[in-house]
Amino acid sequence: MNMKADVTRRTLLDVQDLHTVFEKDGNEVHAVNQVSFDVKEGEILAIVGESGSGKSITAMSLLRLIPSPPGRIVGGRVLFNDQDLLDLDDEQIRRLRGRDIAMIFQEPMTSLNPSLRIGRQLAEPLRVHGSVPKEKVRERCLELLRQVRLGDPEKRLDAYPHELSGGMRQRVMIAMGLACLPKLLIADEPTTALDVTVQAQILELLRDLVRANNSSMMLITHDLGVVARYADRINVMYAGRIVERGTAEEIFHHPKHPYTLGLMESMPRLDQAPGSRLTPIPGQPPDLSDPPPGCPFHPRCRFAEARCRSERPPLEQITDNHWKACWVDTDAKR
Amino acid sequence: MPNAEPLLQVSDLRVHFPLQAGLLGRNAGTVKAVDGVAFHIDRGETLGLVGESGCGKSTTGLAMLRMSPLTDGRIHFDGEDITHPDKPALKRLRRRMQMVYQDPFGALNPRMKVLDIVGEPLRVHRLTQGRAAYREKVMGLLEKVGLKAEMADRYPHEFSGGQRQRIGIARALAADPELIICDEPVSALDVSIQAQVINLLEDLQKELGLTYLFIAHDLAVVRHLCHRIVVMYLGRVVEVADRETLYDNPQHPYTQALLGAIPIANPDPEVQQHFNPSLSGEVPSPIDPPPGCPFHPRCPHATELCRREAPRALEIEDRHSVACHLHDPDRAQAMAGNL
Ligand SMILES: Nc1ncnc2c1ncn2[C@@H]1O[C@H](COP(=O)(O)OP(=O)(O)OP(=O)(O)O)[C@@H](O)[C@H]1O
Ligand SMILES: Nc1ncnc2c1ncn2[C@@H]1O[C@H](COP(=O)(O)OP(=O)(O)OP(=O)(O)O)[C@@H](O)[C@H]1O
Ligand SMILES: [Mg+2]
Ligand SMILES: [Mg+2]
Repeated sequence: MNMKADVTRRTLLDVQDLHTVFEKDGNEVHAVNQVSFDVKEGEILAIVGESGSGKSITAMSLLRLIPSPPGRIVGGRVLFNDQDLLDLDDEQIRRLRGRDIAMIFQEPMTSLNPSLRIGRQLAEPLRVHGSVPKEKVRERCLELLRQVRLGDPEKRLDAYPHELSGGMRQRVMIAMGLACLPKLLIADEPTTALDVTVQAQILELLRDLVRANNSSMMLITHDLGVVARYADRINVMYAGRIVERGTAEEIFHHPKHPYTLGLMESMPRLDQAPGSRLTPIPGQPPDLSDPPPGCPFHPRCRFAEARCRSERPPLEQITDNHWKACWVDTDAKR
Repeated sequence: MPNAEPLLQVSDLRVHFPLQAGLLGRNAGTVKAVDGVAFHIDRGETLGLVGESGCGKSTTGLAMLRMSPLTDGRIHFDGEDITHPDKPALKRLRRRMQMVYQDPFGALNPRMKVLDIVGEPLRVHRLTQGRAAYREKVMGLLEKVGLKAEMADRYPHEFSGGQRQRIGIARALAADPELIICDEPVSALDVSIQAQVINLLEDLQKELGLTYLFIAHDLAVVRHLCHRIVVMYLGRVVEVADRETLYDNPQHPYTQALLGAIPIANPDPEVQQHFNPSLSGEVPSPIDPPPGCPFHPRCPHATELCRREAPRALEIEDRHSVACHLHDPDRAQAMAGNL
């Protein structure tokens, strides 16, 4: 079912040393700090990580959607089909957005225009990119709404966003992302407002589309159950960096980085006594304008050693399908 | 001493919206967002509200705050009928009942500093004296939800999704409410911060005797946090039970489908193979819904009776009620004839 780390697949997206900062009262917030990863054709890559760790900003940097000022991409390359997106002019990147790479934003209410009916908004990418003839636009919109399981789509085309439920708005966003059948779909928390049955239907749909069109998806989510079922590979982010990467199997069955271990342990589980105390990772996320020296996770890490406090561990390959940025042999210490 | 009277009681609640179509907004039907909902919330309990996207959960929550238009029904809060409150009653109510909104992005005014977002209930209800006390109170609230006190001087766009959700929780706590309606309060959070917030909600409940209505789709979280759970489908309540009962012995076919679709955090193909989340059949819509049981177009057990007549809610055991003809003994005969 999963393709796992199939090295023979072509690389669609190759991100190298991406670095995005925000300027704030003379301070620099390193929201994305030297991040490198790739996405293969036909692959679903999940990005998980702490709230505020730079997942959305990574995604928005790829499409050059960082609000500037105060944000700025200060370094790196974003190779999409071997072309560096950071070199494109504004017109070129605009043409690419929605057509070759589409993004489903995390915040449906601020990404949908509150004063436009959803039918209009859904038709927008189709019109801009001329992907279907004019007389077919309405039909395509209805088809998209049916795909995302919105009931009575004909009657919903004229609705305004506030007349839809949270999950319905989220599904409209997904429909917009799918409109032009992009090569790369970036889905930022696409199902947070959906119940589990609709969530499953939508994610099965997205996976089937990826497989059928040999396209790819970057799936940003906090839901580890979703990650386990749909992701081929996983990037784990902490404080603007990737701290662990591997196939789903490696990350779930052999997690190495203490942050990843902490995540797995904080999850409420169905086989736990209800009402028992959950175990969050202790401490607070770091201030990205003044990150701690050494490993950014060390102040919260139960395994931290002297070296962790002074030297930052690089992301290093430990097995064929597994990378980690940590000095400690966590397996030995657990 | 436990007070036997529920803190909140909702009976036969209906919220219908007119559906407009075309540029002129001609009336094209009715959205029956909430269509005959009844439940109560005991003092100090956490009541879970779950159900399919669009089934009317947020609308129900907003109705309790008297923020969605009531078509029909009655709502009592602490013994007082709040169905048609006058202005002072409404103001009192909105201090005692707070909401954490589903969409942390839309809910925070982008032009206000966090200080004034979180402090808004303090100002509206004049709960602190002087600027310094106000500031201090807000900073304390921020720390309570795991943010840093200095963040008070920043604007919402400078925060990540999860951070914004915690700002919303801090605001809801500001006026020391009795009932908090939490609409998907943790779905934007990573599991570690989610665990922090859940522990926080539990601590606050113990410390302050808070009552929660907890709307959520993460069924592991709901099982963890909620004492009792209401399951809705297409504007109606289909099942209510204590948490153990509901998870161990779900009786409504929709509840069974819902619990069967919980994603499993294990990528092994052998595990995932057995996971069959799909609910087949027609996609439901609350626009002029079909007669009979709202679930019948997708129910594997549906009979003629289900297509014709809406089932009533029946208590099938202590503290467990189900609205399904399958469980109505009076109907069993009629069903048998139709099967
Ligand atoms: N406009 C901005 N100005 C200043 N800082 C910002 C801005 N936008 C984001 N940041 C900072 O960048 C960091 C990364 O934010 P990002 O939105 O990528 O987090 P995330 O990993 O997507 O979190 P979440 O899971 O909560 O959505 C955060 O610490 C945030 O405070
Ligand atoms: N202001 C409104 N005007 C018209 N229709 C509305 C309005 N608010 C809600 N509705 C409709 O009422 C129904 C229920 O919406 P509600 O937001 O209560 O669902 P929900 O159960 O909270 O769903 P979700 O889990 O997706 O958030 C939907 O069909 C929605 O379109
Ligand atoms: Mg984000
Ligand atoms: Mg809702």
